[in-house]
Amino acid sequence: MTPMDLGEDLAVREAKVTARAGELFAEQRQRVFVRVDRMFLGLMGGQWIFGILVAFFFSPYAWEGKESTVHPHVWTAVLLGGALSLFPMLLAWKRPGWIVTRHVIAVSQMLWSALLIHLSGGRIETHFHVFGSLAFLAFYLEWRVLVTATAVVVADHLARGLFWPESVYGITNPESWRFLEHAFWVVFEDVFLAIACVNGVRDMRRSARRQAELEGLRESDELKTFALEMALAEARA
Amino acid sequence: MHDRPMSRKEAGLWILFGVLWLGAIGAGGARLWTYKTTPGAPAPLQRGWPAASRIPRDRARPALPTLIMMAHPNCPCTRASVGELANLMQRLRGRVAARVVFVVPRGAARSWTESDTWRAVQSMPGVTSWIDEGGLEAARFGARTSGQVLLFAANGRLLFSGGITPIRGHLGDSAGQERIVSLVTTGRADAATSRVFGCALGPV
Repeated sequence: MTPMDLGEDLAVREAKVTARAGELFAEQRQRVFVRVDRMFLGLMGGQWIFGILVAFFFSPYAWEGKESTVHPHVWTAVLLGGALSLFPMLLAWKRPGWIVTRHVIAVSQMLWSALLIHLSGGRIETHFHVFGSLAFLAFYLEWRVLVTATAVVVADHLARGLFWPESVYGITNPESWRFLEHAFWVVFEDVFLAIACVNGVRDMRRSARRQAELEGLRESDELKTFALEMALAEARA
Repeated sequence: MHDRPMSRKEAGLWILFGVLWLGAIGAGGARLWTYKTTPGAPAPLQRGWPAASRIPRDRARPALPTLIMMAHPNCPCTRASVGELANLMQRLRGRVAARVVFVVPRGAARSWTESDTWRAVQSMPGVTSWIDEGGLEAARFGARTSGQVLLFAANGRLLFSGGITPIRGHLGDSAGQERIVSLVTTGRADAATSRVFGCALGPV
């Protein structure tokens, strides 16, 4: 084998390893997408039940003097909560790993935050759901999903700030810093989660590369062993 | 484990589901928003403390303004109004006397009256409660919505009338609360009213 043959051999092997690493990376990434979609399938169902329980617990009846009727929050939890959960659940069940599935889940998850905040009467503790949800969405290791989720939060704040500023800022003439304060904490979490996502993907790529190299070496060892056995067999003959 | 290909028919079905999903969320959200932002009937503006009222003013501190909140003991929206009253009292520490008037039907069972909202008021510093059987006091003050707040100056003049939650049954800063704080601390406010959110007090 000449040095030129050896160079060509190495280049071919490198191309093979790169192609195999790409395949392994894509498979691993898809597995993560599917696994997280399945996790959200359960979470969406759980949130629906939880929303109904919150409505029953906090506001079972609406009153008019001594007359009571089922509170609109109960119907909202059952119907709007159902609408919020069922479509992403269907997608996660039938199309796990599809790009649309995770972005629909991101939209739905942030809308669930808004609904739970309303059902609990604006309790400050319920606002933690927004931050917990962003963390759960980061399990996808896909920063674009965080962008979709954040866009829902921003759209909600902008729309309410435009039509009913009091519900976002508490006062009718909000100073702009109040909006920036809200945005800051979401972006603060987003930045670190996005960094974690990018690092996670990089690690996944490295691991795929290592596995492809190991497979290449194993293949090459097997070829060598085979060639040696052939040579020994010929010598014996 | 790559994403499996999709037929045109299946893609069309998903688009249809997506459109229906967005429509359902839009309709449900709009309905919820309308409910949360529709104010209750406000108390008609009156000049001062009703002469026929039996609710005592704070005799120990006659120079203080008096804040009256009308409440339905079982209205879930009023929980937020009472929560905001606690904030307000914290902000105005000792500068206002407050009474929460629970409007109840005649002969109402104790369990009907002594709700979690009622219990929350009992433990609130600077606030006393009053049971208004048959809604007589509510009628004297012209209150029709649970969560209605009326602020009277020491001389009995009405300073403010409205609610102290931003939307129905929702905690948070509100224009009403800011106006009351401003009136008590500076004697001025940009307005003397605000929207009131809560269950209807009557008929009892």
